[in-house]
Amino acid sequence: MNAPFYKFAAFGDEASLVIAFVIGIGFGFFLERSGFGSARKLTSQFYLDDLAVFKVMFTAIVTAMLGVFYLSWLGIMDLSLVDLVSTSLWPQIVGGLVLGFGFVIGGYCPGTSLVAAVTGRIDGMVFVLGVLAGIFVFGEAFPLLRGFYESGDFGRLTLPQAFHLPYGLVVFLVVVMAVGGFMGAGWVERRFAPPAAER
Amino acid sequence: MPRPHWTLNRALAAAALLLGVVAIAGSPYRGSTVRIDTQELATIVDSKVDHITVQELADWIIQGRTDYRLIDLRSEVEYAAYHVPTAENVPVAQLPGYGLGRNEKIVLYSEGGIHSAQAWFLLRAQRYPGAYILFGGLEAWKGEVLYPVAPAAATPQEDATFERIAQVARFFGGGPRAAAVAADSGALMAMPATPGAGFEPPRAPAAGGPARPGAKKKRKEGC
Amino acid sequence: MSTVPDAAVAAARPQPGAPARAAAPYMNPYLGGIGLGFVLLAAYVVMGRGLGASGAVTSFVAWVVSLVAPGHASANQFFAEYLEGGLGHPLKTWLVFEVLGVLAGGFISGALAHRLSRTVEKGPRISVAGRLGFAFAGGALMGIGAKLARGCTSGQALSGGAVLNAGSWAFMMMVFAGAYALAGLMRRQWR
Repeated sequence: MNAPFYKFAAFGDEASLVIAFVIGIGFGFFLERSGFGSARKLTSQFYLDDLAVFKVMFTAIVTAMLGVFYLSWLGIMDLSLVDLVSTSLWPQIVGGLVLGFGFVIGGYCPGTSLVAAVTGRIDGMVFVLGVLAGIFVFGEAFPLLRGFYESGDFGRLTLPQAFHLPYGLVVFLVVVMAVGGFMGAGWVERRFAPPAAER
Repeated sequence: MPRPHWTLNRALAAAALLLGVVAIAGSPYRGSTVRIDTQELATIVDSKVDHITVQELADWIIQGRTDYRLIDLRSEVEYAAYHVPTAENVPVAQLPGYGLGRNEKIVLYSEGGIHSAQAWFLLRAQRYPGAYILFGGLEAWKGEVLYPVAPAAATPQEDATFERIAQVARFFGGGPRAAAVAADSGALMAMPATPGAGFEPPRAPAAGGPARPGAKKKRKEGC
Repeated sequence: MSTVPDAAVAAARPQPGAPARAAAPYMNPYLGGIGLGFVLLAAYVVMGRGLGASGAVTSFVAWVVSLVAPGHASANQFFAEYLEGGLGHPLKTWLVFEVLGVLAGGFISGALAHRLSRTVEKGPRISVAGRLGFAFAGGALMGIGAKLARGCTSGQALSGGAVLNAGSWAFMMMVFAGAYALAGLMRRQWR
């Protein structure tokens, strides 16, 4: 039983499309369950009275991170075969900033906008159209952006490698940061909660 | 009703912290170390099922087959000077990370047979079931495909058989040599010009087919 | 934990002929996160890759461009990479199928929780038209940002985050920074 199964040719490309669909169902399901089909809930993160975005996102990251780590440690999974997107630091920093702007202006991110659109949110549908437009503009402008786009290439770089720390230690630190963050989140929410009349 | 959640959340937090602490001692790359079944490998080596002859390879190239990947394990310089058509240059050290699929047929060659054998072993140990050695390596390619030796006192039938071999040789930019010359061995055979510029192996004549295997691109999918 | 989201759900939806059943409360975010985390883990264990969203949208854009102006599409380096190779049709990618699943899963969850409703999510101090304008603009910025960063919150932050990808973590922090930076300005849209 060797994982990742696809990398060990357990099944072919066509089958992987079916798997993609099934995994997608789970993805969309839990996004909506958590309320991420609602721009108002999502943006509440940035007005500090509902930090569900932070809680869900980092719980998910910690869960998957621990899962990948332990499965790899136990030798069930081969971590070196897992896709790691190359780090292009400058475009990722700028892109992140721009994405953050888009998040609070538009109210969604691409994944959540799909969930919103499919549950009837018209602003979600319009947001998706906006994403299409943005990508198109990017594509057209690509020849100009190319230089910057390809800058800051650090190759496949993990946090442990970047900070010269053992992988397991970084895992621990991330967990501590997340749990600490969750405790802090509770406090922040209470502090910034809207007046009792609105509850 | 917040209260019930609180106890659950505490339990989750505790579990996460516990797993995090235990993780400090861990090493996630253990799954990348290899285990070798020496018995199995010895049997395979003995039965020679993992060899591809140069003639077979020549046929594959002429047929325009795309179901294999040909790996040249030599240095960049040597590769640039001459390489078998459709070959990709991958030094041995970069082989594991190169992105070869475990469902692909991977034919390895080097100058002779040593590096290809070692690379074969490496791939096999990492559970690549489709690793093959080009038997005889580039030496055999030169001596049997590019510059085949014409039979000395040939019967018409042998001549006819050889004619096809000679055609193949010319196709790849070489040509037959007479037995006498070949016997006078040690003569360094001149290599044909680097295939690449003008010489594109026969994708066109054959199926007019799809791009070659190495170029079966991973289409960019983004995230 | 926080009661705001539940109240927001009930109160925020404009009620033109709204569905009779009240919307169910959202799931405990930590449980939702664990669910999401397991889905992500499944992707890694089965496929050796993470989730994503913007990549599928890009394939779609590239495909449409190739229909309208094929020569231009293949000449443009960015679009061409999304068109060639792979399994043939530009829309036959793992991400596109995953996104179709997202739509299905989101719909199922929404239906089960009676949260399906044709509505516009917005604060009380902005018009529908204004909100939609911002939605489009925000989406456009997202599209550009996601392509620069090689992914969006799903692909980079979530997926890259779980495997401790340095670039993904940097990206994630910048997303929060950017959003918080502009939150004050956008307050009128949401509150």
